[in-house]
Amino acid sequence: MNGSLIFKERIYPVLFMLVLTLIFIGIVSAIYLSTREVVLLNESLFLKKALLYAADFPVPEGSTEAEEAFQTHFREVGDGRSGEGYFEILQGQGSQVVGYAFLTSGAGLWGEIEAVLAFEKDLKTLRGIEFTKQNETPGLGARITEQWFKEQFRRKKGPFVFVPEGEAAGSNEVDAITGATRTSEAVKAIVNRAVNEAGEFVGGGN
Amino acid sequence: MARGKVKNTFLDPLGKNNPVFAQVLGICSTLAVTNSFKNTVVMTMGVLFTTTLSNFTISLVRKLIPSRVRMMAETLIIAAYVIIVDVVLRAYLPDIWQQLGPYVGLIITNCIIMGRAEAFALTNPPGLSLVDGLASGIGYTYVLLVIALFRELLGSGSIWGFQILGDWWTNWSIMIMPPGAFFMLAIFIWIIKGVVLKEEEVKK
Amino acid sequence: MNGPLFPLAVFFAAIFTSNILLTNFLGMCSFLSVSREIKTSAGLGTAVTFVMATTTVLNWLVYHYILLPLELDYLRFIVFIVVIAAFVQLVEMVIERVSEGLYAALGIFLPLITVNCAILGVSLFMVIRDYDLLSSFTFGLGSGLGWFLAIMAMAGIRQKLAKARVPKGLEGAGITLIITGMMALAFMGFSGMINIG
Repeated sequence: MNGSLIFKERIYPVLFMLVLTLIFIGIVSAIYLSTREVVLLNESLFLKKALLYAADFPVPEGSTEAEEAFQTHFREVGDGRSGEGYFEILQGQGSQVVGYAFLTSGAGLWGEIEAVLAFEKDLKTLRGIEFTKQNETPGLGARITEQWFKEQFRRKKGPFVFVPEGEAAGSNEVDAITGATRTSEAVKAIVNRAVNEAGEFVGGGN
Repeated sequence: MARGKVKNTFLDPLGKNNPVFAQVLGICSTLAVTNSFKNTVVMTMGVLFTTTLSNFTISLVRKLIPSRVRMMAETLIIAAYVIIVDVVLRAYLPDIWQQLGPYVGLIITNCIIMGRAEAFALTNPPGLSLVDGLASGIGYTYVLLVIALFRELLGSGSIWGFQILGDWWTNWSIMIMPPGAFFMLAIFIWIIKGVVLKEEEVKK
Repeated sequence: MNGPLFPLAVFFAAIFTSNILLTNFLGMCSFLSVSREIKTSAGLGTAVTFVMATTTVLNWLVYHYILLPLELDYLRFIVFIVVIAAFVQLVEMVIERVSEGLYAALGIFLPLITVNCAILGVSLFMVIRDYDLLSSFTFGLGSGLGWFLAIMAMAGIRQKLAKARVPKGLEGAGITLIITGMMALAFMGFSGMINIG
């Protein structure tokens, strides 16, 4: 077997793949690194908007406005449950503390559901809820992210009772989602646990 | 002559050789997101970008690719472009990126992209491959956009998230659930084939 | 929910309620082209199940022990597909040498598998849903079996269909899609049965 054939059959393909891989991984990594800042910024902005929505403040579209609104209405406090921070909700003149907000999570049907919950000062009445992560079934469980579902928690006192869709009447009742029993159960568990343990989330008992 | 070839390369995948309804190729990754028109637009743009540029790139290096690692090299090039789409979406359209979930990554295994690379890019010059990639992408895009339009309209009463149909409309939940996609695509293929078949009969 | 039974729940859910083909549309290409015959469908289904269960575990290990520590998780698409392709190649070489009968039965399907989106899809879902190693395995195995079940059912129906009269425009892909839609509807009925608790 002569040298050039060995090169063509064995070495060249390996060399080719190596060069190709290096070039493309180089390009991809460059783009990834150059957008990293933006991604981190987006993630923090996403959380800030979720907090604003949950605490029942108008959510501005623009990033600077959202940042401003966040600064006026929230103050991060350390030392919550398991060392994670929670937020004090501020409103009115002199920025009085009107409530508390924190992040919580629990198992959904397909994966983890993460939510931001905002409470009034009594830590029982919910100002609102926003889901920050969910992998539920589209058209069924994923309807928890729809406005009507989230809005029905506003200013209601937990622990909550879930009733069939369209029947909620009482001050602690919310409509479950038809066809998504598991997801509804999961949300109920997350919210009610948060209601029962809100004191612990916020600085270990108020 | 040359211009005619470019024109044919462009028009063929839009009409009777459309990758979706003539060959039913490549619907895997995108059909899943057609319950929302907005997500479909973004997703198909990603597919368009990947088909066009990967076809071009593969054609550019086609004489250098050793035949033993042909498939691997093609996959690598396609995957690199898909990662670019993923990274850019994550940075600039984070909401949609989150909703699309794993489906962006699945563009890699979209049969159209691999199919065009194998059938066209390996034997044609880069310029023509670019046109072919673009045309296949567009042919694919418009079919899925039509499906998404109807699914969102019938399933949620809205288009692009804006409510179009009033309170009198009862949402057909089935449309935004998976079976709706199968039915919609089948009906679309039926209509297109009905039209094409009739035309051919007239010609005879 | 995340108790000891969770992997089992994932397993059954992957076969029935969240069938990878019927609810996520993954693996459609080979599903539409291969489901004409029961025998070939069985061969491809077996190969898919085997490769899916194994590569999900391999990719889990690669992702958690190599990509995450090195902060290279954005390269996972390339890495996963390379792992899958390499594994398929390896299996092909092994069964070619070990068993001629098995190679004749499964060998021709293996190259088809690398480009089956369901295989990559399962690995990507596993990352997004944060499954642990055991759940990833049952998820991969369940998804494979679910795909196997769907393609076998389809092949059975299509053999009967060969004798039926179908409107001209619906012949081939059209009618297959409609039947798949009905199967998806039927499988949704399982969602009341599986109690993930």
